[in-house]
Amino acid sequence: MARFAMIAGLLFLAACSAPTPAPTAQEIIARAATLAPSDARLADLYAQSCQACHAHAESGAPLTGDVAAWKPRLAKGKPTLLQNVVGGIGGMPAGGQCFACSAADHEALILFMSTGT
Amino acid sequence: MPSRRTVLAATAGAVIATGAGAVGYRAWRDREPASPAAMDTDGRLLWRNWSGIQHAYPAARAAPESEDQLVDILKTGVTPIRPVGAGHSFTALAPTSGTLLTLDRMSGVVSHDAAKMQATVRAGTRLGDLGPALAAIGQEMANLPDINKQSLGGALGTGTHGTGRTLKAIHGDVVAFRLATPRGDILDCDRTKNADIFHAARVNLGAFGAVTQVTLQNSALKRVLKRTEARTIDDVMEEWPALQAAHRNVEFYAIPFTGLASLITVDETDRPVLPRGADADVDAVMALKKLRDVAGFLPSVRRDLAQAAFKDFPPEEAVDEGWKLLSNERPVRFNEMEYHLPLDAQMPALREVIAAIEKHRPDVFFPIEARVIDADDAWLSPFYERVSGSIAVHAYYKDDYQFLFELVEPILRHHGGRPHWGKLHSLGAADFAALYPRWADANEVRATLDPEGRMLNDHLRKVFAGG
Repeated sequence: MARFAMIAGLLFLAACSAPTPAPTAQEIIARAATLAPSDARLADLYAQSCQACHAHAESGAPLTGDVAAWKPRLAKGKPTLLQNVVGGIGGMPAGGQCFACSAADHEALILFMSTGT
Repeated sequence: MPSRRTVLAATAGAVIATGAGAVGYRAWRDREPASPAAMDTDGRLLWRNWSGIQHAYPAARAAPESEDQLVDILKTGVTPIRPVGAGHSFTALAPTSGTLLTLDRMSGVVSHDAAKMQATVRAGTRLGDLGPALAAIGQEMANLPDINKQSLGGALGTGTHGTGRTLKAIHGDVVAFRLATPRGDILDCDRTKNADIFHAARVNLGAFGAVTQVTLQNSALKRVLKRTEARTIDDVMEEWPALQAAHRNVEFYAIPFTGLASLITVDETDRPVLPRGADADVDAVMALKKLRDVAGFLPSVRRDLAQAAFKDFPPEEAVDEGWKLLSNERPVRFNEMEYHLPLDAQMPALREVIAAIEKHRPDVFFPIEARVIDADDAWLSPFYERVSGSIAVHAYYKDDYQFLFELVEPILRHHGGRPHWGKLHSLGAADFAALYPRWADANEVRATLDPEGRMLNDHLRKVFAGG
């Protein structure tokens, strides 16, 4: 894929999707980078598989601890959310590419990321 | 060249002309591909690869912490036992109804030799983590792939590579490795000890057992200048031999239907650090998709829009340690076919690929990647005794990718290409026997190490046994 910023910058069609972080968003981004599960095993799984996207705003993924971003996802209900996580959706690869994760691990990681605690 | 106002007006006209029916068609084409169920009827959790086209419901998932645990799994685990790295392979290397084996808990640098500039690293280490770990001991891998999410073991197993005329793929800089086998052995292999296994299993498809650790021949940590600029495809292809000679790392992305290419060069420098900016690739790729959506059936408008956008854009530069610049985030998922061709055949083949896509597939919008890799002597290396020019064609994960097999692969095979082991191809054992001079020798070593075929899934049976 090309690093073709010249096209991205000039095609007005893409401009509307460019994020403009507000101060509160910056706080969310800074906090996401510092959060980790308290359980050691879960913390390892999070660090290996989830953190690369959910702690970095550029990924486009809902950030860890960003309650507002997770709210509409949680509103879909646990079965749908788990299906989307395990099966993958949009930029989210299946299971977050956590191959050691069980269904219970995925649920625990969703809970952690959606609350930050 | 038309003004931006002109081309945008033309685009608006195109949108109106195509009408509501086309909008509905685009919405249909943009739907999320259906996912298999999260669990099967036996309660087994779904596994899918990164792009989503491979899946399985493994009976067991194993994540050993030690070589002893790993050997026990290889000897007694439910078969087929399939090692998985980051799940980035598009081919069916990992799917298994038996044991899915991850080495995520066997990661990190074991030791290093500052004088020899070597480091021994556990195979579960992700390349993205390896860069800073090596930098901390003053070392670097001079060549890294486009994506750094892969595990070291997975990257070696599939012949993953970067680009540079004098640079080898990652396995080309391996001086030793340790292999755990389904027979229960742990074997240290280098050019003098277990030499046949060293040559046969440096690129191993995860079919010889599981590599537990690797000793890499690195180089001293350096600062590099990465430069990205827009050029015409014709100019870049014309200059390709000179560009290879002039730059340490060089690659380009040909953008179909635009006449344009993005040229990327990396060279050592003493210039002060100039950090890379925010990643713009996602916006760029999605802009190309929008361009396809709006003007896909109006080639001249599509080309004019892209060229107008390119007109005033300056080259982009960044200066930093190489591990920070050589690889990229790729949050936009895709499927991919890549073949490695004799260097002289690369540009003629690329011209044919671009012409075929522009004639038959206006839906394609991802850039086509061209790289160069030095020869090595691993028996299953796509670069075995051959300096190679690679061509990689991508398809957005929501889009049809059968054209890769029907339109692109025949061209790449006609020019003598060997497929990337982790990327889409349709070849089997007979094809590989013709492409790889030491194929039979490598397969004999594999069968000796895994006489019961405990590591073979259906895909690997086709690769190694033709069945």
